[in-house]
Amino acid sequence: MTEFVLAVVLGALFALGTFLTLRRDLVRVVWGVSIMSQAANVYLITMGGLDGSVPIVGHGGHGAGHVTDPLVQALVLTAIVIGFGTTALALVLTYRTYEENGSIDVSSLRGDRS
Amino acid sequence: MTPHVAVAPMLVALLTAILSLPVRKRPRLRTAVSVGGALAYAAAVAALALRVFPDGVLVYTLGEWQAPFGIVLVADALSAFMLVLSALVAVPAAAFAARYVDETGQRVSFHALFHFMLLGVAGSFLTGDVFNLFVWFEVMLMASYVLVVLYGGAEHTRAAMRYVVLNLIASAVMLVAIGGLYGTLGTLNMADMAQRLADPAAYGVDPAPVLGLSALLFAVFALKAGIVPFQFWVPDAYRAAPAPATAMLAGVVKKVGVYAVIRLYFTVFAAGEMTVSLPFVGGDSPLAFFGPVLFVMAAASIVFGGIGAVARDDVDGLLAYSSISQVGFIALPLAVGAAAAGVRSLALAAALVYALNHAVAKSLLFLVSGTITDATGTDEIGNLGGLAASTPVIAAAFLVGALAMVGIPPLSGFFGKLLVFDAAAQARDVGALAAALGGAILTIAYMTRGWNRSFWGSPTPLVERATPDPVLVALVAVLALAVVALGIGFDPVFRFASAAGDAALARDAYVRAVLGGGGA
Repeated sequence: MTEFVLAVVLGALFALGTFLTLRRDLVRVVWGVSIMSQAANVYLITMGGLDGSVPIVGHGGHGAGHVTDPLVQALVLTAIVIGFGTTALALVLTYRTYEENGSIDVSSLRGDRS
Repeated sequence: MTPHVAVAPMLVALLTAILSLPVRKRPRLRTAVSVGGALAYAAAVAALALRVFPDGVLVYTLGEWQAPFGIVLVADALSAFMLVLSALVAVPAAAFAARYVDETGQRVSFHALFHFMLLGVAGSFLTGDVFNLFVWFEVMLMASYVLVVLYGGAEHTRAAMRYVVLNLIASAVMLVAIGGLYGTLGTLNMADMAQRLADPAAYGVDPAPVLGLSALLFAVFALKAGIVPFQFWVPDAYRAAPAPATAMLAGVVKKVGVYAVIRLYFTVFAAGEMTVSLPFVGGDSPLAFFGPVLFVMAAASIVFGGIGAVARDDVDGLLAYSSISQVGFIALPLAVGAAAAGVRSLALAAALVYALNHAVAKSLLFLVSGTITDATGTDEIGNLGGLAASTPVIAAAFLVGALAMVGIPPLSGFFGKLLVFDAAAQARDVGALAAALGGAILTIAYMTRGWNRSFWGSPTPLVERATPDPVLVALVAVLALAVVALGIGFDPVFRFASAAGDAALARDAYVRAVLGGGGA
């Protein structure tokens, strides 16, 4: 059941991210990209399986064999930190793009691609 | 003691990057640290290459956590070859940057970024873990984002924005593909993946989704390598970055995508046997699917980049489009090798030789373009002319690079092209032969056009006033001599490339070294 809900959420997140990325407003594009990377994180968690107890030795009470895979959580932590850095960079870059070009409309930023 | 040599290139790059930060406001010290660090990197790479050549596999277990649980670094001939390639470009680029990039740029940590990028590159070449590959990609990309936007003008911010957004989407896609692979195979270690794919029943995994997931991953690598249809970020980003950074981006960072394709598809995914039955393609290995796909992309890159380069009116733009075309030449033998198992070893050697040729010659050309821009203040072909008369050394260096691209013996480009044609002919692949021939003609066309219009003819006012920097000219001349030396002393280069190609195909040796207690 949880998997089904998460699958729906994932689909919605990726759809929203794609939609925002295709907007003309640069801030929304950055939003879209960061939503997509968060969706990828949720996807990672889902791929690790959701049943099972906390992956801490001595806890959970299900015995040794049935704990949630802790590896994906470590992966997601890494991915979140990277995503944090890149989103911050993208936002600063958006601001600098506005300062330099006087616009954050993607179609007017096409500029002199000569 | 000795396995530490496997981690040495990364440690040197990391240390240099960190040391570059406190000295960034002191020009002499800054140059010494950056160039010295690049030289130390080259020395570390050379030590590693001597250890693993021709068929050694060095495994370094980080934190003594054994594979497949911990992250391992694996250095075989393929990794060593790519590392040597990166060092060959990094040393001249670092020295060039110390003289070329303006004081503000160097003050805001150009050199630290340069070496962090080198760290990401070295990490990508060495890691034996798919998620770790993602992390090193991000290290490399983060630094490259800032290098593209370093000058901070209107066009630079625009180019960087496009570059960043594209690569962020690619990162999300890569994460999804890696998560899917983990969910399917239950491991992230490349050797373990290959083992499980080779015998899925023994591990209770169903390898069917691997084909789709690897295709998703392939799109990410193709974006990094700038192969059509993922090439559109290349010209803007290369024009925006400072010349030495562009030399690294075109010469080395692109090759990370190529390396990832070779390592993951030829070493890992090719272990799997699955029935591929899609329109036009069929076979029993994932490579049967990637062969035709890669061929179409490579041929399209060669044609698109070649035609784009013919139409450009600035030297940097010409070189950027040319590098799209040349990456097609690297991907073409990979496509041939993927489709025909008989010539796979030769095809990989051809791709690697061509990658090395492109790395060195194209960085030379970008540095020449930087020298010209530094001397005349422009790289518009219309404003140049008669450079051959006023700056003969620069002209000679450009000629060497251009001839290496075209493939005139005895330069390394000749052997690269020869091997590409040889692989295509041995596989009796008429389509690949036609694509390579068309690409070779286009290369001659755009290089001749660039040469005729910028270097011959009567000098323009800008060229007459040109004041080439003697240090930059000397560096470019040395790199040009290196290109000539690579061609004349080609035999060891070819043996190294063949060993690297064979290492990519020696899956059993790779798996045994990582998992069979060969490490630590």
